[in-house]
Amino acid sequence: MKINLRVWLKIPDAEAVTVKNTLIRRMGYGKALSDLKKERLWSIEVEDVENPDELARKFARQLVNENKEDYIASVDSLVFEEGYVPVKVGLHIEDGEAITTMNQLQNRLGFDMVTGVERSTVWKLYLDSNDSVKLAEEIAERLLINPHKDFYEVL
Amino acid sequence: MKIAVIQFPGTNCEYETLVAAKSAGVDGEIFRWNRPAQELCDFDGYVIPGGFSYQDRLRAGAIASKEPVMETLREEAEAGKPIVGICNGFQILVESGLLPGLDGVDAALAQNVMVSKNQIVRRGFYCAWTTLRHDAPPNRCAGTFLIEKGELLPIPLAHAEGNLVTADENLIDRLNEENQVVFRYCDEEGNSTPDYPVNINGSRQNIAGICNPEGNVLGMMPHPERSNFAWQLPAFDPAKKGGLETPGPGRRIFESMKRYIEVKR
Repeated sequence: MKINLRVWLKIPDAEAVTVKNTLIRRMGYGKALSDLKKERLWSIEVEDVENPDELARKFARQLVNENKEDYIASVDSLVFEEGYVPVKVGLHIEDGEAITTMNQLQNRLGFDMVTGVERSTVWKLYLDSNDSVKLAEEIAERLLINPHKDFYEVL
Repeated sequence: MKIAVIQFPGTNCEYETLVAAKSAGVDGEIFRWNRPAQELCDFDGYVIPGGFSYQDRLRAGAIASKEPVMETLREEAEAGKPIVGICNGFQILVESGLLPGLDGVDAALAQNVMVSKNQIVRRGFYCAWTTLRHDAPPNRCAGTFLIEKGELLPIPLAHAEGNLVTADENLIDRLNEENQVVFRYCDEEGNSTPDYPVNINGSRQNIAGICNPEGNVLGMMPHPERSNFAWQLPAFDPAKKGGLETPGPGRRIFESMKRYIEVKR
C-alpha cells in the first residue's frame, strides 16, 4: 500500500516563480507556458493497515507544516487535476533526505509499518501547445533535471 | 590585465575573491549578472565565485547557468580566455556544460555523502580545511598554471553539493586520460584514500576540481580565496606566520591565472 502526500506552499513559492521566469525570460517559453506551480510529493510505502486515511493524516502532521503548507493525501492512486501537465522529478541516485525521513518515521516516531519513502517534486506546467507532453518533456530535459542525478516522468 | 568576478543574486564570496585576485597582481571588478553581457568581452579572464546563486533554487547553479552572461562566457572560453569557478561557480560551470566540456551536461555535483568503512557517516553541508593534491601536469590548466604535479595545497571548503557524479560510466576514465582531473582530496601526506574524512564529500575518485579539454576553464569546490593570505590558515598550520600580506596557498590559483593570461595574450 502506498500513501501519497502532495504538499504545496500556501505562501508564494519563490522557487516556482524563479523557474517560471527562467523558462519564460531566458529560455523562450513565453508563448507556450502560461504558469508553473510546484508540489512536493511524498510516497510512503506501508504494510496494509485498516485505516490508511487516518495514517495519512498522521504522516501529514510530521511532514507538512500547516502554517505555510497545504496537502492532499491519497492511497495508492495519484490523480491530478486537468489543465496542466504534471512532471515528476526525483533523484535516481541515493536520496539522503528520503532515507533520513524513513528512519525518522520508523525509528523516532514509531511508524513501524513504513517500508519505504520516496521524495520527489511535481512541476505543474500550464502549457498552450498542440503537443503538451512533448513540450513538457523538453522543458524537463532542458531545465528541470540534471540527468546525471535526476529522473523525470510525465504523470 | 583585468578580470571580471561574476556576481549573481546570492553570490557571497565576490569581494574576498576580488581581494585575492588583486593581491596576485590582477586588476579586476565585480560584474553584476544583469549588466549587458557583451561588456564581458573587455576582460581578460573571469572568476565565478562561491555562494548560493538564486538561493540554489531548483538545483545549485541551474538557474544561473541560463543567464545571458553565461552564453557570453561560453564564447569567451571558446576564444581561450580563462575562467575559474569556485564552489557555486563550479556548480554553475557544470550545469552550463562548460565543465567537463565534452558533450553538453556531462556530470552533476550532488549532495555530499561521507562514507567510512562502507557506512554512510554523514550527509549534506560540510565546512572544513582540506588538502588538495594537484594531479594535472604543469601548464595543463589556467587556474593551476604555476603549480607542479603532486603539489599539496591546504584550502578550506564549505558546501552541501560537491559530490561529483555522472551517469556516463566512461567519463571519469576520460577525464583521467586527458588530465582533466586537476585536484583530488588527499591527506597531509598526499594520499587519496576513498574514505571520509580524506574524501571529504564522497566525490568520485576524490575529485575536487576539473578543467575542460582545452584547460582554460577550471572548476573547484574548495575556496582558494579563503587561504589567499597566510593569516587565514588554521592555527595548527605551521605556515600560519608572517605579516598581513604574506601569501597563503590559495594565492597560487590567482597567480596561475595571471601567468596564464600573460602567456596566452
